[in-house]
Amino acid sequence: MTLLGALILVGVVVAFILQPIIQGARASLQREDDELTEAEAARRVALLALRDVEYDYHTGKLDQDDYRAMKRQLSAEALAAMKALEEDGARASIEAEIAAVRQGLRAGLVCGSCGQWNPRGSRFCGGCGSAMGERQEPAGSV
Amino acid sequence: MNILGELALWVALPVAAWGMVLGFIGGREQRGDLVLSAERTVYAVFILILLASLGVVDNFVNDRFEYWYTANYSSRNLDIFYKIAGLWAGQRGSLLFWLLLLCLFSVLAVWSNKRKNREFMPYAVGTLMGLQLFFVVVLLFAEVNPFEKLGFTPVDGAGLNPQLQNYWMTFHPPTLYLGFTAFAIPFAFAVAALLSGRLDSRWIHVTRKWILLSWFFLSVGIVLGMRWAYEELGWGGYWFWDPVENASLLPWLTATAFLHSIQIQENRGMLKVWNMSLVILTFVLTIFATFLTRSGLIESVHTFAENTTIAFIFLTFMGSVVAGGAVLILYRLPQLRSETQIESFLSREAAFLFNNLILLGATFAVMWGTLLPLLSEGFFGEQITVGPPFFNRVNIPIGLVLLALMGIGPVIAWRRASRRNLRKNFLVPVMVGGVTGVVLWALGVRYGWALATFTISAFVLTVIVTEFWKGTRARARIEGEGFIPAFYHLISRNRRRWGGYIVHVAIVMIFTAFAAEPWYVEIQQTMEPGETTEVASPLGSTYSLTYEGMSTNVRDPDQNLAWQAVALLRVERDGRSAGTLRTEKRGYIRPEGQQSTEVGILSRASEDLYVILADVDLQGVVVDNDPAAQAATFTFLVKPLVGGIWAGLFVLILGSLIGLWPSAERVRSAATVRSGRDPFPDAAPALGD
Repeated sequence: MTLLGALILVGVVVAFILQPIIQGARASLQREDDELTEAEAARRVALLALRDVEYDYHTGKLDQDDYRAMKRQLSAEALAAMKALEEDGARASIEAEIAAVRQGLRAGLVCGSCGQWNPRGSRFCGGCGSAMGERQEPAGSV
Repeated sequence: MNILGELALWVALPVAAWGMVLGFIGGREQRGDLVLSAERTVYAVFILILLASLGVVDNFVNDRFEYWYTANYSSRNLDIFYKIAGLWAGQRGSLLFWLLLLCLFSVLAVWSNKRKNREFMPYAVGTLMGLQLFFVVVLLFAEVNPFEKLGFTPVDGAGLNPQLQNYWMTFHPPTLYLGFTAFAIPFAFAVAALLSGRLDSRWIHVTRKWILLSWFFLSVGIVLGMRWAYEELGWGGYWFWDPVENASLLPWLTATAFLHSIQIQENRGMLKVWNMSLVILTFVLTIFATFLTRSGLIESVHTFAENTTIAFIFLTFMGSVVAGGAVLILYRLPQLRSETQIESFLSREAAFLFNNLILLGATFAVMWGTLLPLLSEGFFGEQITVGPPFFNRVNIPIGLVLLALMGIGPVIAWRRASRRNLRKNFLVPVMVGGVTGVVLWALGVRYGWALATFTISAFVLTVIVTEFWKGTRARARIEGEGFIPAFYHLISRNRRRWGGYIVHVAIVMIFTAFAAEPWYVEIQQTMEPGETTEVASPLGSTYSLTYEGMSTNVRDPDQNLAWQAVALLRVERDGRSAGTLRTEKRGYIRPEGQQSTEVGILSRASEDLYVILADVDLQGVVVDNDPAAQAATFTFLVKPLVGGIWAGLFVLILGSLIGLWPSAERVRSAATVRSGRDPFPDAAPALGD
């Protein structure tokens, strides 16, 4: 009885810890999208510092001169970080546009010859008149 | 259940080893499947150690005295409550309990990071499993197996030390252990940061709440221990600089330093090497504290430990952690450079740095005094012990500097403060402190340290109250809010800052209570029944204590009592009745021959009256039941302000909870991440944030 209990315990534990390896389970070991990128981290630090300077000034811990000087410097840092973020964002939006066109091509909405976007179900392109692909809008896609 | 428990402990050994190896290899090879398997060992070992712990509890509850641990720490007549608490009553059980808490926290850390911080997880899991493996090895191979059998079955166990049969003692060790084990999580993430090479402030950001949680449990555990000593040890004190007390204070000091220095790294990108070193030092000190308490290395009033053979294993482990940590920091040194530098010595970061140096100074002083008996015996063959006078002489000035820094830090701006503003901000608090000092001097206070403590405390409290007032006023003006909503938002938008200030108030309360020690009154008096003794309190009241007589009780197996002599005293304060106090001496059935003194305490907000039955003719009173032998010697103590320590604990809990509470911003930012909007609304420079 004891031996049986022991075997069951060991068996369950071994199966539990080996399962991911046997099944070849996948798990991310990378930084996730919702974590701070370098530019976001820089913006955050600069904004936090601005917050502190603001607070210290309003509670009378900073002179007006120091306050102005520090605010100018920190605002510049924050702006630089935001610009970097925007560049990241711009790159991301271009990529998003390319992806959308690809999607449209696949769905048969974009003309293969001239790149014109056509209403759903068009049989000929409204821009150049060439025949749209055989493939019509697949069910369920938007 | 008990056989399954012992088996589970053995199964945990290879599983923990597997988890450690796979964690590190999975991180190195970036293999997700290996890391997932390593993460599963965290859950598996938790279940296994839970089974083992239940096995030990099962042995206690079912009176299985064939086990060494049960036979030595329990008896048939022990209350069921203390039988369950038997898990942490002795060395063997508490090592298992320590491991159980570590496993619990590891599960929480892994579970909450299933989809976050993935680059840290392989190494964090590897580190945690390595730590768990160490404790499993200790339990199985260092002659401390709680499932070790005696080879025969005694009729009854030796019984639990009655001094441990006290509810403070039931909660004090688990609370401290929660503090010790919670710190393993920040340590594991620090190691993960060093190994993975992601050396920005992310690991601190991830473990910030763990650090605060650990500090909170350590603080509560230390104060609960003081309360236990005060109520149960029967000498009227709450702190004796005993090695075991010091052992719990050491990680508290470095954790306090760490809690402050991480703010410099988060705000200013400085002190990266320092923070890495502090997290490793604090972690090693939590192990050191466990080791000191549970190895029997240094004799102390606690002496609940019995085995010295595990000393070698523990010392080796601590040595490897320090050496490994040092190598990792040196390896990553180029990436750990500061991003910025201290701009001025009149800045908050400089004040924080100073606070850190002072706390580290206190740590080394306490450690030196604690280890001196051991070191002197090792090197000179003669044991030199230092007592409370040494610790007080060193730590009182250090404590006062820290106290003053709690007033200075909040008023100095980050980066650089101007002298003119300092003058403006310090004028009122310094004046309040000064006036307090002068008034107390005029009232006849002549104890230098106490006078300094009260003066600085008044200064600090004024600073903190002013901070709350200025912050609320500024927020009310800028946001156009009423004062009450402004006050609420002030705190809720930056819980860490304002929760921290509330904890500072608690520390001031506790320090003020310590400073009242020179006024403690102690009178020893032998009295016959019916006689009255007057005790004058330094705060003005007069207590008259009338000894009403001694009642005795012989052999009460239900309460484990061999005999009991209870003295009753009627108390009047300034002529008005204030109730009765009882103080007693007890002899126990198990452990045989064990005696204890129970004290009577009459508490008010301003002071405690503390009565000890110091001496009584036990033969005459208990054995012969002779009515003429009722004369007894009492020690009467009046302890002004001592209640400040316990009240301070509640304020400390309040402040810590404010800091620990999940902030509205975090909840909101989690929601906006999902909906794709700005994930960092809390970074907006709104006032009081």
